[in-house]
Amino acid sequence: MHMADALLNPAVGGVMCAVSAGAIGYSVAKMKGDKQAEKKLPLMAVAGAFVFAAQMINFTIPGTGSSGHIGGGILLSGLLGGPAALLTLSVVLMIQCLFFADGGLLALGCNIFNMGVIPCLFIYPLLFKAIFGKKTGMGRLMAASALSVVVGLQLGAFGVVLETTASGITELPFGTFVLLMQPIHLAIGLVEGIVTGGILTFVWKSRPELLDSVQESAAGVPVKKTVAILAVAALLVAGGLSLAASGLPDGLEWAMEKTAGTAELEAEGPVMDAAADIQEQTALMADYAAPVDSEAASTSIAGVVGSVMTFVLAGIVGTVIVVVKKKRVKA
Amino acid sequence: MGNIRQNTAALYTLEQLAEGDTAIHGLHPMAKLLGTLFYMVMLISFPRYRLGMLAPFVFYPVLMLSLGEIPFKLVGKRVLVALPFCLFAGLSNALLDRSPMVFVGGVGFSGGVISCLSILLKTLLCVSVVLVLVAVTPMRALTASLRRLHVPGVFVSLFEMTYRYVGCLMEEVSSMSAAYALRGKPRLEMRHMGAFAGQLLLRSYDRAERIYHAMKCRGFGGSMIGETAGKMSAGDWFFLLAVSLSSALFRFVDIPALLGGVLC
Repeated sequence: MHMADALLNPAVGGVMCAVSAGAIGYSVAKMKGDKQAEKKLPLMAVAGAFVFAAQMINFTIPGTGSSGHIGGGILLSGLLGGPAALLTLSVVLMIQCLFFADGGLLALGCNIFNMGVIPCLFIYPLLFKAIFGKKTGMGRLMAASALSVVVGLQLGAFGVVLETTASGITELPFGTFVLLMQPIHLAIGLVEGIVTGGILTFVWKSRPELLDSVQESAAGVPVKKTVAILAVAALLVAGGLSLAASGLPDGLEWAMEKTAGTAELEAEGPVMDAAADIQEQTALMADYAAPVDSEAASTSIAGVVGSVMTFVLAGIVGTVIVVVKKKRVKA
Repeated sequence: MGNIRQNTAALYTLEQLAEGDTAIHGLHPMAKLLGTLFYMVMLISFPRYRLGMLAPFVFYPVLMLSLGEIPFKLVGKRVLVALPFCLFAGLSNALLDRSPMVFVGGVGFSGGVISCLSILLKTLLCVSVVLVLVAVTPMRALTASLRRLHVPGVFVSLFEMTYRYVGCLMEEVSSMSAAYALRGKPRLEMRHMGAFAGQLLLRSYDRAERIYHAMKCRGFGGSMIGETAGKMSAGDWFFLLAVSLSSALFRFVDIPALLGGVLC
């Protein structure tokens, strides 16, 4: 479910980073209004580290022999409340990205949205609290956790499909991609949901005061307000993504077209002209046009040779530096 | 639970590397952070068939890894994490997009193969530069730059504290699963997972409570007192400009084609 940088284009990445940054800003503002916020900070950090550690615990899924692990959005929301859970999960995703290469740095916006904003700010207040809020009970808690995780994961997986397709790096048709992603995440969601329910019921049995929904059981959920926020966010995301996908060659070329009037930088002067001439003749692919005649075939060899030379050069530079450094240490 | 030990070790390895004292380590964290981000935006903005132009982007990670004295094999380990999904997407490109696009010595390569290779190369490069960033920048310098960029203080404090707790809790998990294994079951069963993880959570909560009280005794008032990084020197600006300008140059000028044209 963690998206990588390589499958993303900057426009989609940028839009999703902006949306997630907005959601984080909203949660920080919410936390500031909370008088218990200062006391909550160490608890949030521990809960985040807990989700991280819990993801390392592999358990056997009965009947299959394969192993699963937990994701955490609903679990954190159940313990900390939506906004605090979003902040905590964002931090967990940041650590995973920076220190374990799980999910990309520019893809962080997408990942925070798919795995954090959806379960913490939408599914938890709208679905989880509707089942386990005013009326409580062991069965209700289990049902609320399992159902929320499944729905959250389905929406998150759909988000992955939308963002990847909008980036236009993969060739996978939208329909096939959806058919691949949704069933896999239904299975994952069921397992994760049951385990999340197990953890939350255990905590509820032994230390009920720790659960967020028990702390504020008297306060109802302003459903109308949440639906309005949901609608606005959906519009923003849909608008941003379609803008990114709507036939723009890519964000940078688009920006250049706007500012410079042309998609390619035009350089002048004899040297630049000569360089441009060589480039025109030797460009591996002049903007998607597939070279098929023999002349083009020979020029694309030049491109391959150039690339290989570049790699070799980089390799030599790296080796020389390493060798020189080692010699210096010895001397 | 070799998995947990491995991850804990990875965390500590990075921390040790970040304490090095090469010229790269000495650069201002802000210059490294912004340079990395700019490089990545340029890199991922390539359309899917521009494989040839990706080659010069190899220089930045290679230079940084070798000058920063970071072992190259760390890159390989991290690429493995990011690889499965990228490989899946790349291979499906190769299978679905079969029209021949480039001919090298009479052998035709389809557009799908080109875009598959470009996805894999981009994955490798993105993973390497993020590794370079965290392996040459200590955590406190990184968070100081985040504060300078006006990321909310609560968020940055949370980031620092969670990072510290991760190490603690992984050791806790490690000893709990050792205890579980000693009772006879080598692998955790799903029906025990709720109680196991719940127990871990309660222990951690109590621990957090104790830490909070200890912090309170030492005058904690809701925000961390962070180290403030100094101003960027001329050298730091030079580094940032060099990274940004070279990435932009590699993005818009097809260097390998020029080089190949001169040689052929």
